[in-house]
Amino acid sequence: MDRTEMMRYLIPLIAVIIIVTSVIIFGLASQNPDGFEWSFFHFAGISFPTGGFEGIWGFLGESVYARALEGIIGISIVLVLGFVFFKMASRKTE
Amino acid sequence: MHVPDGIFPLWLQILMYAISGIMLFISVKMINKKFDDKLVPYMGVLAAVIYAAQFVNFPVPPSSGHLIGATLLAVMLGPWGGMLIIGMVLFIQALSGDGGLLTYGVNFFNMGIFSCLVGWALALMLFKGMKRTMHEKKAVIVATAIASFITTVLAAFVLGLELLTVTGFGMPALVAITTIHVFIGVGEALLTSVILLYFVRAKPQIISFLKESETSEMARVPVAPVPELQIEE
Repeated sequence: MDRTEMMRYLIPLIAVIIIVTSVIIFGLASQNPDGFEWSFFHFAGISFPTGGFEGIWGFLGESVYARALEGIIGISIVLVLGFVFFKMASRKTE
Repeated sequence: MHVPDGIFPLWLQILMYAISGIMLFISVKMINKKFDDKLVPYMGVLAAVIYAAQFVNFPVPPSSGHLIGATLLAVMLGPWGGMLIIGMVLFIQALSGDGGLLTYGVNFFNMGIFSCLVGWALALMLFKGMKRTMHEKKAVIVATAIASFITTVLAAFVLGLELLTVTGFGMPALVAITTIHVFIGVGEALLTSVILLYFVRAKPQIISFLKESETSEMARVPVAPVPELQIEE
């Protein structure tokens, strides 16, 4: 992959990270429950299970900045993981 | 559609973990056999884009939804590559507390295995029909958008069927979860077509349905050969 082609992919990726971070920080993401949560907890009226695993970033708290940081770290980990995994899985081209 | 821990009975979680393990194993084997290392950088980028897109919920009052991306990935990389990326994304999300670790198998079955296979099959069927009447690049976008909509609704229905194992979740709730995903599915179809449009223009080589594709080999799903009848004269 040459530099021009790499930039063609890096720029949208950086744009995605900026958009996601902005959407979270400025509170633009919907705060409504998702389809499962709405039908299970609200419609069916089943109570939320307590004492579950809060995630490895639970210590950061619930602020929007913590959520944005969690997003950026998650995107970076998935990017690296995807690269490393498929690098290992790839066969050498002739 | 990310289900947390403490909802499903243990037997269902074990069963789904077993199915997920088998399908992940098959996916890795299929990718190992046919994956081209020129495609490596795109895999990381695609995984990151799907993770980011799943991070943001769009409003569908009284609920909200987010992209699943399984049909999109299956059309681009085939169901095996799609499943692996969804598996990775769901694992990182589960570690972050979005979807349970014990319910990882169930979540992966719904959003990975089921959605990738059904989405891929539907999109392929629609694409083959549509490319007779329109340009193949336009056909792939329309076919994938329709397939992603249907797959989202079907995946929600499957989740609803699984939730019937939970006390208090009955038929009205099954209808509710399926109905709300009809509207969420519209968002899925729109986002899928926008992302696919970008890749159709920027890098059509990584869309397995297109002629110039470099991923069509790894996207193949082996079908058991039909034994030929030997007619003796």
